[in-house]
Amino acid sequence: MSVLATSVDIALNSLVLGGVFLIVAIGLNIIYGLSRVMNLAHGSLYALGAYAGYTLVSVGFNFFLALLIAPLLVALFGLIIERTVIAPMRRRSMVYTLILTYGLMFFLDGLVKYIWGNEPRFIDLPEFLTKTVPIAGTHYPLYRIATLFITAGVMIGLMLFLEKTKVGMILRAASHIPEMVSCLGINMRFVHIGAFLLGCILAGIAGVIAGPLYTVDPIMGHEMLISSFVVIVIGGLGSLRGAVIAALLIGVVQTLAEFFITDLAMVIVYMLMAVILAFMPLGILGEGRFE
Amino acid sequence: MNEAGSPWNTGDKKRHTITWIILALIVVVLAVYPFVLTNRFYIRLVNEMLIYGLLAMSLDVLLGYTGLLSFMPNAYLGIGAYISGLFLIHAAPEGLWLALLAGVVATGIIALPVGWVQVRTGGLAFALLTLAFGMMFYTVAWKWYGVTGGDDGLMGIPQPDISLAGFTLGSSGDPTAMYLLTLGIVLICFLLTRRIMGSPFGAVLEAIRENEERASFLGINVRRYKLLGWMLSCMLAGISGGLFILYKGYIGPTTMHAFAGAAVLMMVLLGGMGTLWGPIIGAGIFIFIQDYISTMTEHWELFVGLVVMLLVLFMPKGFAGLVQFVTQLRKE
Repeated sequence: MSVLATSVDIALNSLVLGGVFLIVAIGLNIIYGLSRVMNLAHGSLYALGAYAGYTLVSVGFNFFLALLIAPLLVALFGLIIERTVIAPMRRRSMVYTLILTYGLMFFLDGLVKYIWGNEPRFIDLPEFLTKTVPIAGTHYPLYRIATLFITAGVMIGLMLFLEKTKVGMILRAASHIPEMVSCLGINMRFVHIGAFLLGCILAGIAGVIAGPLYTVDPIMGHEMLISSFVVIVIGGLGSLRGAVIAALLIGVVQTLAEFFITDLAMVIVYMLMAVILAFMPLGILGEGRFE
Repeated sequence: MNEAGSPWNTGDKKRHTITWIILALIVVVLAVYPFVLTNRFYIRLVNEMLIYGLLAMSLDVLLGYTGLLSFMPNAYLGIGAYISGLFLIHAAPEGLWLALLAGVVATGIIALPVGWVQVRTGGLAFALLTLAFGMMFYTVAWKWYGVTGGDDGLMGIPQPDISLAGFTLGSSGDPTAMYLLTLGIVLICFLLTRRIMGSPFGAVLEAIRENEERASFLGINVRRYKLLGWMLSCMLAGISGGLFILYKGYIGPTTMHAFAGAAVLMMVLLGGMGTLWGPIIGAGIFIFIQDYISTMTEHWELFVGLVVMLLVLFMPKGFAGLVQFVTQLRKE
């Protein structure tokens, strides 16, 4: 392969990886920003989305239809979780929430193993998406290109929802001054539920997108959870614009690092996270918020 | 030993004596245990409980006393274990005490710069920093094949004799001898840490936990004390690492992963934080539950997750809270 072909390959791969990171991390970020819950089970919700997508496709649904339905199933499940275990945690210290969601993560992973077993699964793509397209001397899988468009679509949809609708406006206001929103007669409980459901939907979408890219297995959420932690820390906790930049940055760094020095790729990523936290705790844009 | 603050010292002299008697009884029972129940499996199980108890106690110093959350105390167990193991393999296959010492010192040397960076922050940022550094160490242990054995872990650790001042207890490969060594070291660490936490130093750490700003107004150098608390915690974890490698004869990178670290956090909560003895009991309960359920069903994660959620929801003070509740009930 020529140098050009390789660099195009690397550039596209980092965009694809960054896109998946972005969708998961934004969901985690929205939940944290609106209800100060750091959800350690978020990676497991992502895995749940992938498995839901797998089941839907294997019983004969169209892939794109599965992409719509699976996130809603995850959200339905998320509603039950929010009401039963997350909501009682709001009045307690953050440590308890962390440990509870950690238990939740175990529970969900166990549930996935119970229902689908340990062996890895693959989401079958429609015929036309399995082809490759020639770009600058390399043959790039069409599906990977498609995920770029899906990611962009999801992000634009999310931005429109937050910027243009009344619900989005309430959510944005609640992330800045929750007391004021509460004073205006809006029940904060619904804001918390809404934030959690939005996070679940995003995790579900990311799961279905990632299914055909990587394998679907019960621990697929673990690495994703840690990567999305890295993304939201570098972007600044609660900052959505920061998360976009950070996700792309981590996508590029990880892809480049894996290409050049395979062995210690992740060390660089974690080092970046440590430097940002210690010296720029509000993230690269300085928009983050801590307790 | 009654200076200030710790939950041990609130009672009168009589309660103090009772506490000592209970502690002595527990130690005697634990020391006699391997000679009564000679099943190797159960000896090794309690041995593991004690090692993780020490690790959970090290996290309690940080979480329960200083109010700082670490996601990955197990990374420092890992560092202690790898260094002690490497020392035994490459430097002195018979030097048990030197290997333990090397593990602790090396853990301290590594933890110092990490802590220096970490104490600049607090709260969630501190917790996330421990995750970043911990995962960094995990990746190094996982990927540095030449030294750590990578995925396969560090294997072929020599089993030196446990001997002190001419008296030999037996090989560290022998479950009973290893168990007694663990019990002795964990007991010493517990008493020492209890003494330190009962001293004015411990009171300063608690002051920082309660109100960092006010502590700094009182002229306390908050960062310095946080760093000292961090170092104490990491070095205790390093000791547990040395014991871990002697006990298991093996360490792999998964022991250092973030998800194994959260289990330690769970042990602390299960036992009750801020008590030092609670987390040791918590480690025992956790390992017992995990072991018991995993022999019953292969879907142990489902049940462990459920148990954790129920505990956090309905018994947030853990086992120590339960004991407190019972003693109060008896008083009334």
